[in-house]
Amino acid sequence: MQLNISAIILGAINVVLALGLAPLFEGILRKITARIQSRQGPPLLQPYFDLLKLLGKEDIESGHSPRMQRFAALLSLATVLTVAVQIPMGGQAPLGGQSDVILLIYLLTLSGISTLLAALAAGSTYSLVGMSREMMAMMTLEPLLAVAIVIGAVHTGTLRLDQVLNGAVYTSGMFPVAGLIILGIILFALQAFVGRMPFDTAEAETEIMEGPMIEYSGPKLALFKYARMVKLFLYTALFVALFVPWGQTGFYPLDVIIFLVKVTVLVLLVTLIAATHARYRIDQAIRYYAGLFGLALVALVFAVSGF
Amino acid sequence: MAARDVLNSIKKRFDGVIQRVDVPADNRLYLYVQPEMIKEVCRYVFRDLDARYVISIGIDDRQQSNRFIVAHDFSFDRENVLASIMVQVPASQPRVECISDVVPAANWAEREMRDLLGIESIGCPNPKRLILPDGWPEGVHPLRKDVPWNHVPSNFDENKEYNFDEVPEGCTVVPFGPFHPTLDEPAHFRLYVEGEIIRGCEYRGFMVHRGIEKLADSVLTYNEIPMLAERICGICGCVHSVAYIQAVEQAAGIKPTPRAEFIRTIMLELERLHSHPLWVGLASHILGFDTLFMQSWRIREPIMWIAEKLTGNRKTYSLCVVGGVRWDITTELKKELQGVLDTLEKEWVKVANAVKGDRNIKARTKGVGIADKKLVKDAGLVGPLARASGVPIDCRRDLPYAAYDRVDFDVIVEDGCDVWSRLIVRVMEVFESIRIIHQCLEKMPEGPIQLPINDELPPGRIGLSSVEAPRGESHHFVITGENNRPDRWRVRAPTYQNLQGIPAMIKDQQLADMTISLGSIDPCFSCTDRMEIVDIRSRKIRVYSQEELLQLVRQRNG
Repeated sequence: MQLNISAIILGAINVVLALGLAPLFEGILRKITARIQSRQGPPLLQPYFDLLKLLGKEDIESGHSPRMQRFAALLSLATVLTVAVQIPMGGQAPLGGQSDVILLIYLLTLSGISTLLAALAAGSTYSLVGMSREMMAMMTLEPLLAVAIVIGAVHTGTLRLDQVLNGAVYTSGMFPVAGLIILGIILFALQAFVGRMPFDTAEAETEIMEGPMIEYSGPKLALFKYARMVKLFLYTALFVALFVPWGQTGFYPLDVIIFLVKVTVLVLLVTLIAATHARYRIDQAIRYYAGLFGLALVALVFAVSGF
Repeated sequence: MAARDVLNSIKKRFDGVIQRVDVPADNRLYLYVQPEMIKEVCRYVFRDLDARYVISIGIDDRQQSNRFIVAHDFSFDRENVLASIMVQVPASQPRVECISDVVPAANWAEREMRDLLGIESIGCPNPKRLILPDGWPEGVHPLRKDVPWNHVPSNFDENKEYNFDEVPEGCTVVPFGPFHPTLDEPAHFRLYVEGEIIRGCEYRGFMVHRGIEKLADSVLTYNEIPMLAERICGICGCVHSVAYIQAVEQAAGIKPTPRAEFIRTIMLELERLHSHPLWVGLASHILGFDTLFMQSWRIREPIMWIAEKLTGNRKTYSLCVVGGVRWDITTELKKELQGVLDTLEKEWVKVANAVKGDRNIKARTKGVGIADKKLVKDAGLVGPLARASGVPIDCRRDLPYAAYDRVDFDVIVEDGCDVWSRLIVRVMEVFESIRIIHQCLEKMPEGPIQLPINDELPPGRIGLSSVEAPRGESHHFVITGENNRPDRWRVRAPTYQNLQGIPAMIKDQQLADMTISLGSIDPCFSCTDRMEIVDIRSRKIRVYSQEELLQLVRQRNG
């Protein structure tokens, strides 16, 4: 299939949306959190200022391996932006059949790997503890999303992104048992995917001093922080595409607005949960993920049986 | 008489061993024993009579008796007696038998005695330095009377690094501190970690030792010391000020006026009321539950404001003088305080319910940081830490002081031995403190707030005082001296004992549980020893050393 101009434009718009709006959603998250905590909270635009300030700072080489450190920071933002090109934000999945779900899953894993590289580059004990936590979390978390996507693929009989990321989990033709189970699972795991309370075990400021981030400062830290914000935006977008793609009018600008409203609702949900929960210990978190994974396998069995 | 009973049971066993006895009141007992029998007497008192070890004190008494004195303080909590068991040590050979193999809790105190006074403990199981840095020369002992308070030996090597123990096989070292987001003071734990499990640790602390005791016995006067005492701690300042003044009063045989006693009680409880919510907030923050952190501190803030109205300051109350207090509580302030307490109570009920019902907090704190009864006894743990392990000790009830014998309150005890129980104990104690203050405000008699003191305080008298700080018993030991100042003042904050329990509490636990297990210490990053100055015009970077910085500061002040 030919890659056409409209796909490129649509993909570019997605990247701009992700880069432009991710700090705003972070700002909303911070403001609402502050309100729940009886605080005034920072201005909505504060995350933009934070990034600008960090970007303008001196670029210090530090840690065990500065070159890998720089690479990890670039990789982390680059990966999430590549993901942004592929998932639908209002319209169709921009690349259509040119990319598939396998690539998407790989890219999401790669963004986790950039965190591991960052931790290795720092070489401090705390970052290594953070790395082992991140690795354990990745191994139990990633399969959940994979199962969700595979269920969609099983139902549609294709790996094409534009078809799977369009509420395909419900298209079994019967009562969508698998789709509903996986919806619940991903909802419960969303907090962990975006690395917020109670699942920020890999960074855990009060335990291991931000773990993998320990040696980062200035522009490189800005890239990582940016990637983290974009991640919040992307995973909610992915959730929308997988589970609640409905309500599209076909008029693109309006669809983008509808999409953003859905994302906002999910961000509010993430905020609310983050503000009302204490952090899990890594073993508790893994047990939680493992429980979800067990359920996901059940959903998969339903899916291949045609539900 | 309680003190007599205790004395008689010791006498029955060690008749010829006791050299001198003093029972100044029915709740105090001082006895001198033969130096070679000190270990046996301590074993008997600690194990058979089941007294609680408080602290050991070294005293340089060479000017008076040409001897050093070593005092081991014990508390008989059930008999309501504080006892000091003392030995005299010849100045030429300052050695005393080590008691820390029978009383493990005495380890730090004995090492401190060696560092600061040069009194060796024969057979000490862990003779490492505790307080003096490794670069400090041998043979210079700051608390000796012939060492001036501002003396720095010329051969002091401030850059010398600590000499750490061997790392156990198969473990990696995780340095915890001196700087860590949840560590409130520069203290260093060197954790031996296997995977995520802590197998052991070595503690090095006392990095900002300020020489407060030395200042008190060489520079300040009796009524100046409370101002310094309340600056010992960033939270329980009033506790130290009251404990010190009570020790002096007890030594000199002075009883403060009743109204002053009530005012002291009110301020001590007010201090607990701002300390416990602060701790609950910090603990939540460590667990990553910032919402409770913020709410708990918001609820705490009005307490700080009413303290400021009462005393002129949020936390340094400038409360005590010998024989009374320095300011009164007026009728208007009394009414306002009652209002603040009512609001606090209402809001704290919500916090208590939220904490008790929170599954995540429970999951993170249940079975974490276990301190069983044996550890409490052996390490001399105090306060909420002991009470959460089913050991019902509380100085307010066991060794009553100020007006605590005239108010009614419950001692909160839990038996989980873990962080969860400590959390519950602290949360519930807030309600008891509110009760105590309400009663004090009702029962407080009219009258003077100070006793006229027309005479010099008699020298050479001993005073002991224990005050229940929010974190546990603060114990002060005073010997009165010449020149309107004490000859020796020894402060034992509750953390001094509680920290000694930490290695056992974190052993074989997850690394993630370390911070919450340690959780009850408070923040201060105070020892910046160098900083960088960048000259923008010449683009030159200059690094100042500690000495240069000190010089700069002194030039400016001079």
